[in-house]
Amino acid sequence: MSTTIEQQHDLHATPAPRPRGTRARLLAPGWLRALWMTPLFLGIGLALVLGIRALAGWDPIWYWQPVLTVAFLTTAPLGFLAGIGCFDYWARYAVGTPTQPEDHSGHGAHSWRDYFRVNTDHKVIGTQYVVTTIFFLLAGGLLAMFVRAELARPGTQFFDPQAYNSLFSVHASLMIFLFIIPAFAGLANFVIPLMLGAPDMAFPRLNALSFWMLPIGGVIMLSSLIVGGFGAGWTGYAPLSTRGDPGSLFFQMGVQWAGASSIATALNFLVTIITMRAPGMTFWRMPLLVWANFTTSLLVVVATPFIAGSQFFAMFDRVLGTDFFTPDQGGYVLAYQHIFWFYSHPAVYIMMLPGFGIASEVISVMARKPIFGYRLMALSLMAILFLGFSVWAHHMFVSGMAGYLRVPMMITTLLIAVPTGIKVFSWLATLWEGKLHFTTPMLFALGFVSMFVIGGLSGIFLGALPIVIHTSDTYFVVAHIHYVLFGGSLFTIFAGIYYWFPKMTGRMYDERMGKLHFWLTFVGFNATFFPMHIIGVQGMQRRIADYAPEFANWNFFISVASFALGASTLIFLYNMITSWARGPRAEANPWRALTLEWQVSSPPPVFNFDEIPQVVGNPYEYGVPGARHAVLNGDRAAVEEEVRVH
Amino acid sequence: MLIVIGAVVAVVTTAIAIFIPWLPAQASVQRERIDFVFWLTTWISVAIFAIVAAVIIYCVFKFRVRPDDDSDGEPIHGHTGLEIAWTAVPAILVLVIGIASAVAVARNERIGPDPLRIDVTAVQFAWRFDYPNGVTSPTLRLPVDRTVLLRLTSNDVIHSFWVPEFGQKQDAVPGIFTSLVITPSKVGRYPLPCTELCGLGHALMRSAAIVMPNDEYESWLATAQDERTGVPPPDDEPEDEGEEEPEGDQEGQQDDPEDEGEESAEAGAALFAENGCGNCHTFAPAGAKATVGPNLGDLPDDEDYVRQSIVEPGAQLAKGYQNIMPPYSQLSDEQLDSLVQYLLRGSK
Repeated sequence: MSTTIEQQHDLHATPAPRPRGTRARLLAPGWLRALWMTPLFLGIGLALVLGIRALAGWDPIWYWQPVLTVAFLTTAPLGFLAGIGCFDYWARYAVGTPTQPEDHSGHGAHSWRDYFRVNTDHKVIGTQYVVTTIFFLLAGGLLAMFVRAELARPGTQFFDPQAYNSLFSVHASLMIFLFIIPAFAGLANFVIPLMLGAPDMAFPRLNALSFWMLPIGGVIMLSSLIVGGFGAGWTGYAPLSTRGDPGSLFFQMGVQWAGASSIATALNFLVTIITMRAPGMTFWRMPLLVWANFTTSLLVVVATPFIAGSQFFAMFDRVLGTDFFTPDQGGYVLAYQHIFWFYSHPAVYIMMLPGFGIASEVISVMARKPIFGYRLMALSLMAILFLGFSVWAHHMFVSGMAGYLRVPMMITTLLIAVPTGIKVFSWLATLWEGKLHFTTPMLFALGFVSMFVIGGLSGIFLGALPIVIHTSDTYFVVAHIHYVLFGGSLFTIFAGIYYWFPKMTGRMYDERMGKLHFWLTFVGFNATFFPMHIIGVQGMQRRIADYAPEFANWNFFISVASFALGASTLIFLYNMITSWARGPRAEANPWRALTLEWQVSSPPPVFNFDEIPQVVGNPYEYGVPGARHAVLNGDRAAVEEEVRVH
Repeated sequence: MLIVIGAVVAVVTTAIAIFIPWLPAQASVQRERIDFVFWLTTWISVAIFAIVAAVIIYCVFKFRVRPDDDSDGEPIHGHTGLEIAWTAVPAILVLVIGIASAVAVARNERIGPDPLRIDVTAVQFAWRFDYPNGVTSPTLRLPVDRTVLLRLTSNDVIHSFWVPEFGQKQDAVPGIFTSLVITPSKVGRYPLPCTELCGLGHALMRSAAIVMPNDEYESWLATAQDERTGVPPPDDEPEDEGEEEPEGDQEGQQDDPEDEGEESAEAGAALFAENGCGNCHTFAPAGAKATVGPNLGDLPDDEDYVRQSIVEPGAQLAKGYQNIMPPYSQLSDEQLDSLVQYLLRGSK
């Protein structure tokens, strides 16, 4: 086994030769080829639609709905993917041209340019994901600032209703589909093969394709703003989303690209985790982050096709004239919500379980203690997975669905508090008698635990039928999702970025700025979102550009706090950029962690391990004398000793 | 120490729960049960939050590491008893909340022997309430202490009926009929916003629920029916005018009544307010400033066009506006006349 990897190092870890000559450069995979293939495929799409319409004699020939859907939102992005080089290997394979299965010229980063092309190294892809998603975090955050500017005072200030509806719709869509879900996928992409002792993901080319589909989804959603945006919310309820403005098409097709990216990544994680664990890495020795992404990926592969379906139905209703959601043609409006939430409730756990994994890693390391109740922590993830599929209709308690569905769905919803509670209490017990190091990742992890408790408790309010009948579609719901997705997901993403920053970049971030970022975020977050509970219960409904004057004071306060919260992100950015450029060199294992990613250099070698590690124990044995998680680099005697002892 | 911190957190959160006015005024029997479950859940949440916050704060101070301490903590791997406890206790608590909720909802949906049945139709961006005797109203008028069964539907997209003071909410969905039970318990006027995003005018799709003493309600209903069938209203109807005056920016008091059309103008102003025209349009005499639809201060002096635009808005669209206004064909001819005159008089 070890010789194979060493051979790979010798043979293939050199940068690809630059193509010479104009023709070769135009034909080589990259941005130059994308520059002409995107318009070419756009033209093919246009020719297809306009040709068929002209031949069939349909009037008008230039009808924007199919033109937009086929040419601009489907074939042009395909042209971009083909141009940048996502399909080169498969295309060669398909037409019978000789391929080089062991060609690793597109693997690993030797200069910054390698981050801007199709790269099959999971570490490069992980970094590409994280940087891309932070861009969309900033874009989505800016839209939220506009929303709060409009809401600072009652009445209409800056945006007309169409613009306002688009602002919060695009904000939510970007944050969910282009930030939280892929940011977790990016961190996991970097860390999981390392944690498993594997040289890469199971399907590196699919991994690259997954990444490159993501910015397409984001660009589509952002560019909807050119035509006035989509104004039906990120939930895109039919029939509002199947009529009117063209923007909804951008949402319906943008979700397809981001969703396809998400499904392919999840498949990749599943195969990697099941088949590529190092010797000795049994399921019960996997770090909890790996467990978390294992359950998340199961959720993604089962649930995400449902949102793809719901958006295809809505798009067909618009473009093809089908009647899935047209009541007077036999369509059923609530079907949209059932299909949509069958994905979108599990999606809440897709956005939360990887964060649980990150919190477990950080808290155990920074408390210098084994994670409390490791097996129950893993099992509670599985419990959330199964319960998560039986609660979707709690989003529909006032929708007019069958009445008898409500009480069973309420009970399963409330029961999810039990495995979630197990996790929170186990984190607390992990702190107990520990040696707590309050580094920035630890602050964000503890901030997450305390904020997520509030989000979880408000979730109980929203699970209890009589209360949710009063509070659904109010600011109470807005407060709840932000305590869960900001206080939960975003805090753990920050914890993860700070925690693995030295591993990803090889440099150390500025600890003082990190702590300042945490405290500003923590205070700004609570000042922004806690009052929303109050105005929601009092009677302010959500998704409104204008509100009754009695809510004016709280809204002004919230807006001011939200600007401070937005400003705190600038500190994070400044810290990340300056530290990446000229921070002090990071050691291999600055946190003295046991998991495998810290046992290699920072940043890790191109193929991660010189030799496949032998796993001999659990990943969190802090304080246990002589305990080891794994043995690396030819320490054969130690391996035999460990294997004999265990 | 731990207990002291827990007690302090509990006191602070209890103060937040008590001293901030959380729930709006209670104006229905259903709200009493909703509030019971709300406070039950709140006190359980306060207790859980106090425990969690106390442990975190205690750990932060007690187990903070000294700068030069590189040692590890106690290798505690778990504690079966504790783990069983924090699985079982939350399970019991949420089941208690679940049972209380199921009972409360079952009782909240009891109709009783003789409910008042009202059909609710939502359109972009207005509500219509149809009473059993054929009366139609843009505001919901209810007698106090009588259970009402609303039957809701929508003509276009999904809307949602909510009166915070009643606590009850239900979507109005095109193609199906949904229902909602309310027993108003307090006389007053309450906001009735649409809570499901329904398009451009969503924020302004507000109506009102007016709970009246039974005799006032009966006389309003009789007057409204007479108006509908063309019988002139008896002139001793003071409460009607008083109740009908809309609040805030829809108030129609700025118009300058002239001798000739005073009566008609007043009726027009009332119709303008009642039908929620100001939710979407700007019209200075009514103090309306909404910008979803065209400004009604710029109407051409063309009676037929104005009339058609109310009854059949899609026939001739103002430049730059979409066909999203619902047709107001339920207005009688006299009502249309008053409204058209009122609009033309207010336009320049």
